Amino acid sequence: MDVKYINPFINALDHTMATMLGVAPERMTISVKSHNIALGDISAIIGFAGENVQGSIALSFPEKMALLLYRRIIGEVVTRINKDIEDIVGELANIVAGGAKTELENSRLFIHNAIPSVIVGKNHTIAHKGTTPFVLIPFQWETHYFTMEVSMKIESTGLLFKRALAARAT
Amino acid sequence: MKILVVDDSATMRRIIMKHLNDAGYTGTVEAENGLEAISRMEGVELVLTDWNMPVMDGMSLVKELRQNPAYSRVPIVMITSIGARKEVVEALKQGVNNYIVKPFTPSILIEKIKSVIEVTA
Ligand SMILES: [Mg+2]
Repeated sequence: MDVKYINPFINALDHTMATMLGVAPERMTISVKSHNIALGDISAIIGFAGENVQGSIALSFPEKMALLLYRRIIGEVVTRINKDIEDIVGELANIVAGGAKTELENSRLFIHNAIPSVIVGKNHTIAHKGTTPFVLIPFQWETHYFTMEVSMKIESTGLLFKRALAARAT
Repeated sequence: MKILVVDDSATMRRIIMKHLNDAGYTGTVEAENGLEAISRMEGVELVLTDWNMPVMDGMSLVKELRQNPAYSRVPIVMITSIGARKEVVEALKQGVNNYIVKPFTPSILIEKIKSVIEVTA
């Protein structure tokens, strides 16, 4: 997968956390991941699709960090993952996906984002909508580590061209 | 001033309502989707709505309100994660008075709301 399609997600995450929490996360080394077990205790996944693209983005946080995010943003202490924690993690993913959508337009990639779904528990699975393996981007924020996963399947323009020809022929 | 905050995220509604309250706007009501928003419209003077929501999304809500003679002039501010040009243009075309892209700072939120209130007063 081309980095030009990954950077919009990283930039959106940076901007979202910097604005909502005052501190942007520090990106670590990007790698690929081919299994669907989440690295965090709580994950939010958002599917997206466009004319020539299909995929999903997921954010996965350790419980401690998810609780801290809530405390920083809402100003209230919560000691275990509950509906409010699920909600804020889902909304963070929603904002990141929206920001990425906006920037992806520069690469002429037009996507529509679905509603986030949130999964909780040790070793839960994240079911991506694009290709496997997908891109795993670890981040550090204060003393916590969390991950973003981006899975994307882009049809080649050749295929699109063939399809357009086929459509014209009928 | 009666302001209706529409967003499927309960925490986002809390954030918006907290900023409104801090800026002196009290008497805020909330709804978690477009359909619920329509049922809460009585006496509402300003609508702040998200776009991506289950059941009825923000754009459908805008269309419904603009077609309804009772609410066609109520100012609407869209607060959404979608900053893409095409969507912003579409929202303004459908009659949204202002557009705020998430994530926002409290000052941006309040500034835009104030300007909508001034212009539509
Ligand atoms: Mg939403």
